[in-house]
Amino acid sequence: MTQTLTSRVADRLRAIVGEDQVITNPDRLVAYESDGLTAYRVVPRAVVLPETTDQVSEVLRVMHGEGIEVVPRGAGTGLSGGALPTPDSVIVGTARMNRILSIDEQNRLAKVQPGVVNARLTEATAPYGLYYAPDPASQSTCTLGGNVAENSGGPHCLKYGVTSRYVTGLTVVMADGEVVRLGGAGLEAVHGLDLVGLFVGSEGCFGIATEIEVRLLPKVESIRTLLGIFDTMEAAGHAVTDIIGSGLMPAAVEIVDNATIVAVEASVFSAGYPVDAGAALVVEFDGTEAGLDDDADRAEQCCLSAGATKVIRATSDEERIALWKGRKKAFGAMGRIAPDLLVQDATVPRTRLPEVLARITEIGREYDLKIANVFHAGDGNLHPNILFDRQNQEELERVERASREIMTLCVSVGGTITGEHGVGVDKRAYMSLVYNEVEMDMLRSVRRVFDPDGRLNPGKVVQ
Amino acid sequence: MTLARSLRSALPGVSAREWDQSNNDVLGLGGTPEVLIRPVSTEEVSQILTWAGEEGVGVLPLGSGRHVGPVGGGKFVALETSLLSGVDEYEPADLTITSGTGTTFSTVDATLREHGQWAPFDSPGVNERSMGGFVSEASHGPLWAGYGSLRNHVLGATLVTGDGRVLRLGGKVVKNVAGYDLLRPVVGARGRLGILTSVCLRAFPLPAHERVLVLKGAKLTSLIEPALLAGTAPVLPVSIVVVGQLSALDGSSALVLRLHGAESTVDADQSAIEKHLGIPLDRLAEQEADGCLTEIRDRGGLEPRCVEVSVLPSRLSQVVAAADEVGAAKAVIDSYAGRLRMGSSDMSADAVSTFRGAVESLGGALRVTRWDGVTRPKDTSCRGAELQIAQRLESIFDPAGVLWPARQ
Repeated sequence: MTQTLTSRVADRLRAIVGEDQVITNPDRLVAYESDGLTAYRVVPRAVVLPETTDQVSEVLRVMHGEGIEVVPRGAGTGLSGGALPTPDSVIVGTARMNRILSIDEQNRLAKVQPGVVNARLTEATAPYGLYYAPDPASQSTCTLGGNVAENSGGPHCLKYGVTSRYVTGLTVVMADGEVVRLGGAGLEAVHGLDLVGLFVGSEGCFGIATEIEVRLLPKVESIRTLLGIFDTMEAAGHAVTDIIGSGLMPAAVEIVDNATIVAVEASVFSAGYPVDAGAALVVEFDGTEAGLDDDADRAEQCCLSAGATKVIRATSDEERIALWKGRKKAFGAMGRIAPDLLVQDATVPRTRLPEVLARITEIGREYDLKIANVFHAGDGNLHPNILFDRQNQEELERVERASREIMTLCVSVGGTITGEHGVGVDKRAYMSLVYNEVEMDMLRSVRRVFDPDGRLNPGKVVQ
Repeated sequence: MTLARSLRSALPGVSAREWDQSNNDVLGLGGTPEVLIRPVSTEEVSQILTWAGEEGVGVLPLGSGRHVGPVGGGKFVALETSLLSGVDEYEPADLTITSGTGTTFSTVDATLREHGQWAPFDSPGVNERSMGGFVSEASHGPLWAGYGSLRNHVLGATLVTGDGRVLRLGGKVVKNVAGYDLLRPVVGARGRLGILTSVCLRAFPLPAHERVLVLKGAKLTSLIEPALLAGTAPVLPVSIVVVGQLSALDGSSALVLRLHGAESTVDADQSAIEKHLGIPLDRLAEQEADGCLTEIRDRGGLEPRCVEVSVLPSRLSQVVAAADEVGAAKAVIDSYAGRLRMGSSDMSADAVSTFRGAVESLGGALRVTRWDGVTRPKDTSCRGAELQIAQRLESIFDPAGVLWPARQ
């Protein structure tokens, strides 16, 4: 049962951030009851929307003094319940901390507040011939603060890596309100531990990042995109193994299965994929114009050798967008074939993909569940999406049992329980599949280094 | 009872022998370990660290022993990882390789090359280093521009903490966000958080073609501007280096660029970069290029006294100007990363300290990577709350302070 915030505490918060930036109205608080994982819902005591590092620091000092739990929140697009409130908590939202503080063209760096939307940073740096590489599927709405908390990836992280590769420095507000500067560009030779790397992916449990310094890359000159159509998922998986094994370095390698293709083609997002195909594979190369055709030719040959029935190559930006459409709109399209969708996330060694996918299909059959697969095949990051109806309690239980079985399967072949969505509350129960008790204890100890009282994003990652 | 006897009594199966005093010169040790222990497994490393904690003695981890600084104060033993060797698991199609930390980097790299892959790291003396030392140091060379930091490519590791706990960190997949990323602070921790016994490294396909391009110049400083410009070209070379008095180029200073890719791509990349710089570049023949790259790789990292500096690339010229006293003329400057390495046998501690002050005033940092004298100058250290967090982190990995006795 959510406790209301006392007027004394609410007034202190309003004195810091302004009257309108503290939300206590129950009707408005409902909007914050979950993030992108809607299976879990808890209404917070209040929401505070600071604008500066100093305000975040003062807010956290008040919370610390009052012994109130704090849940940091970016855009709320996370898929693991990382921004799920607890009944005792106050959400500190970064929506108003949305300024790009600096763009340093010469050193290819940008400094941003955490509420800056991922895609907006790339738009803002484009006039300098630069861009920000990590591109989560939600990049048009998710924020850099959330990306830092979750160490977000995206389709192109196969070649360019995930968020931690690009964060060079952070200003962080700790649970007690102390402001700490971690790392910084130009300070790589400092004799110390990589605390920036440790903070990235800490899911809001170590502190709130209020200024984020990131490395930018020069914009690529050209792109080649292929779409391979396969009769079976296994054949598409073999094509991926062949492409990577042949020494090619695509920027992205993505697969959607038949269930996803059917959903997309039946939706407003129809991309022209054949509905009888077992799988569709999107392969993209980027770099200098010269040489890209050679790479695309070799990848096409890999697809055909693995059994592709057709390979289409985009010859314009419009065609490229069309080839990607079936992949990018997959999650949206699934909404029309079931009331609820559990977006799973796990990673396996790439060579184990065919057997894992075959087994996931069997699991779907055994539990009588529809599972649609969309995944970053190049780095073995699977998203088996389970379609269900939460009103059906018996089906919900089957979903939970099937999820555990899929996670157990992925770990058993040398993989892990999450590749990019984070643990949050959703994967907490699976942590013991990956870690033994000694290792779990170490995770708890490290958390206490940053937040001794455990009031920052409680209940996430480890208990 | 001597430490050697205590060890043999507590752990009779563990290989231990007297320390060879002649190693002190090679390793630059300020103190002398009482015994050299050579464990053969993670379990033995765990037992040894547990024993050391109970005895109240320090443990000095040794890989290839190339980068040990001065140690001393109190009793300590040396733990050498050379018997934790061998490639444990390699799946070429997964582009991952797992090896014991006593394995040399060259063994790992040679294994990869048999399958058309490699580990794109070019820090000084890398081939002779143990994987444990290599990962603990996290040093990297100019290939950072094209391939990124080692920290991004160590996918997993087994670590024995100072009190003997065995932790499996990360895994063997490229994307992994299950739990806090404890691997990141371990890579580059120089053994302060524990002793690594195995590491899983990401491999890369060997480039189909390599081209080395140079622009010679009379003065090092005149080459920094074109080097910075090269870093803004639409095509990013895999390394951009300015190096002074390069023997492989008859003593010339030069801007050296490396390009990787299919031959047609590399041709186009060269044209694009020359157009961007507004000057033609000389292409080195294969043999000349090999000599040049080897000299660049090792320069400033294997001499008796070496320092490494990081700074924003835009401030490199000012750093070079401040580095006269410590051998700027022979520096290796990675202009894309904003790094500078220098080494000599006669650099003075005072000159390094003064230089460090200049670097810090420019917002950069200096690290002493090798020093053969007792009066080792200080590194730039993190401060304040960041330092306190680091110290608290060290204390939970090594609660009794067993690792790195009297470390600096």
